[in-house]
Amino acid sequence: MHLATLLLDGANAVLILMLVALGLAIVFGLMNVINLAHGEFLMLGAYVVLAAGQAGLPFWVGLALAPPAVALVGLVAEEVLVRHTYTRLLDTILATWGLSLVLRQAAVLLYGPGSHSVVPPDLGAVTIAGSPYPVYRLVVMAISLTAIAATFALFFRTRFGLAARAVIANRAMASCLGIDTRRLDRWTFAVGAGLAGLAGAAMAPLIAVDPQAGLGWLVPAFLAILVGGLGSIAGPLVGAAGIGGLDSLTAAVASPVWAQLAVFVAAILVIRLRPTGLIARRRRES
Amino acid sequence: MRSWRTVDLVGLLALAVLLALPAVAPSWLVGDLAMYLSYALLAVALAFAWGHCGLLSLGHGVFFGIGAYAMGTLTLGMLPGLEAVRSTWLGLVFAVIASGATAWTIGWFTFAGRGLHGAFFGIVTLALAVVFERLAINWDWLGGLNGLMNVPPITLGPNGDGAELWEPVPLFYVMLGVLAATVAGLTAYQRSDRGLALAALRENELRARALGYDTGALKRRAFALSGAVAGLAGALFVVQFGFASPALIGFSLSAEALIWVALGGRGELVSAAVGVIALRLLDSQFSSSLEAWWPLVVGLIFMAVVVLLPRGIVGEAVYRIARQRGR
Repeated sequence: MHLATLLLDGANAVLILMLVALGLAIVFGLMNVINLAHGEFLMLGAYVVLAAGQAGLPFWVGLALAPPAVALVGLVAEEVLVRHTYTRLLDTILATWGLSLVLRQAAVLLYGPGSHSVVPPDLGAVTIAGSPYPVYRLVVMAISLTAIAATFALFFRTRFGLAARAVIANRAMASCLGIDTRRLDRWTFAVGAGLAGLAGAAMAPLIAVDPQAGLGWLVPAFLAILVGGLGSIAGPLVGAAGIGGLDSLTAAVASPVWAQLAVFVAAILVIRLRPTGLIARRRRES
Repeated sequence: MRSWRTVDLVGLLALAVLLALPAVAPSWLVGDLAMYLSYALLAVALAFAWGHCGLLSLGHGVFFGIGAYAMGTLTLGMLPGLEAVRSTWLGLVFAVIASGATAWTIGWFTFAGRGLHGAFFGIVTLALAVVFERLAINWDWLGGLNGLMNVPPITLGPNGDGAELWEPVPLFYVMLGVLAATVAGLTAYQRSDRGLALAALRENELRARALGYDTGALKRRAFALSGAVAGLAGALFVVQFGFASPALIGFSLSAEALIWVALGGRGELVSAAVGVIALRLLDSQFSSSLEAWWPLVVGLIFMAVVVLLPRGIVGEAVYRIARQRGR
């Protein structure tokens, strides 16, 4: 494979993983919820695009519908399920694992266990450094970058973000200062789900859309946020760059299977040796 | 007269029911139950690590799978240099040692020094489950994706000869004996001084350490013990099922075991064991009649139990009866 294509594909994988890890990390960092259903939110995003296509809507409409639709599912899940487990960290793992089972099975019931494909919009290809590259993949990268930038703007340029960062720093104190943590939790979970939905929708034409589509993303995304560290919002991005980049580059020289093994083992070593993550910041225990 | 704990009475009652069952149940059901008892052994191993020691392992299938593959490779004569050794008994020893040593190594790696806690430990074990599954799929010696086929049943002779144990009723009683002995042994261990120390570190590790306990070593030993029991379960599963596949070692079985234990009740080994047997029976009943709706129903019940009954269904029942009796 051509070097430029290789690097672009690597960048593509890294940016999507960043998007997935970011959603997971804000839910973990702010709400102290370990969301094992995050992969299924991604899977739902891809199914929204599929459903929109089957309803005769253009691809871009499906892509635009997916994040709010998945965010709505997240909102309902938070209200009905997740908020009841807030004080029990390990039970959030179980509750969201149950949610992921139900979402996967719902996809099986609605669309069957088999995989579907979404036709990518025909945008042609451009020649980059002497080899053709599909424009749609460049669009996916642009979508990821925009969403990541928007998330940062949300957290560092808005009142919502200020309140959210206050809750991350010290939940009890933020609550005493009159921040409605209940409302914040609800919206944080929805934003996290929406980011996963966007990632799934953007990736829908590039992957096989099936009920298991989200599972493969969950472990890399978790390793990314643990490697990067939970204390800051930049941590997961660094972790995702490390995990995704190493995976793509090793896959190019060895086989994808050995790449994944090497990456997982390397990530476990990093997590063990630096439990606070590569980008560590002291965090107040609540 | 000494008054019994409710959970022990429930355990004895379940044992009595299971002992009497082959007299009335059809032989296919007894055969199925013998296999469910190996799942129950896995659930007991996980309930010990998770419920008693607070080590939430999202990858306990790894040890089950290692036990199954260890038993399979030895009794099929695949071990280099040991082709002539086919003994079921040595297979059991090998399975227990291999899975226990793997669990000990993982425990040594994750618990030493500052160590990993709670959710971090859970996520690392989840990643390890994926790693082991990938290894099993891509290791041709272990049969790759197809796994090991034609694993022989239990043979009573010293080296894979003698009578074969494959009829449902004797197999069922052997499995029941192993399960009952394991539950009794682990329960006694839980109530010993060292078991109490494990419960103490589950509640507050810092305090346990301040009281002078080497919590890292305690957790490592407990995890190795749990892994060894899970390996025994895997070995006893594969001699019945005759087939060791990558599905046994990875993510899906680990996650399923977690659901069994959460539904039955992680607090007591008896609750976990009763829970998994009941759930597997319901599963065989409904998965054909409800088809794809059944996993959805299980998922919904599982979510409801996690939120409403953290002690699990059996565990909650035992707890309520115990409160009534005042014991």
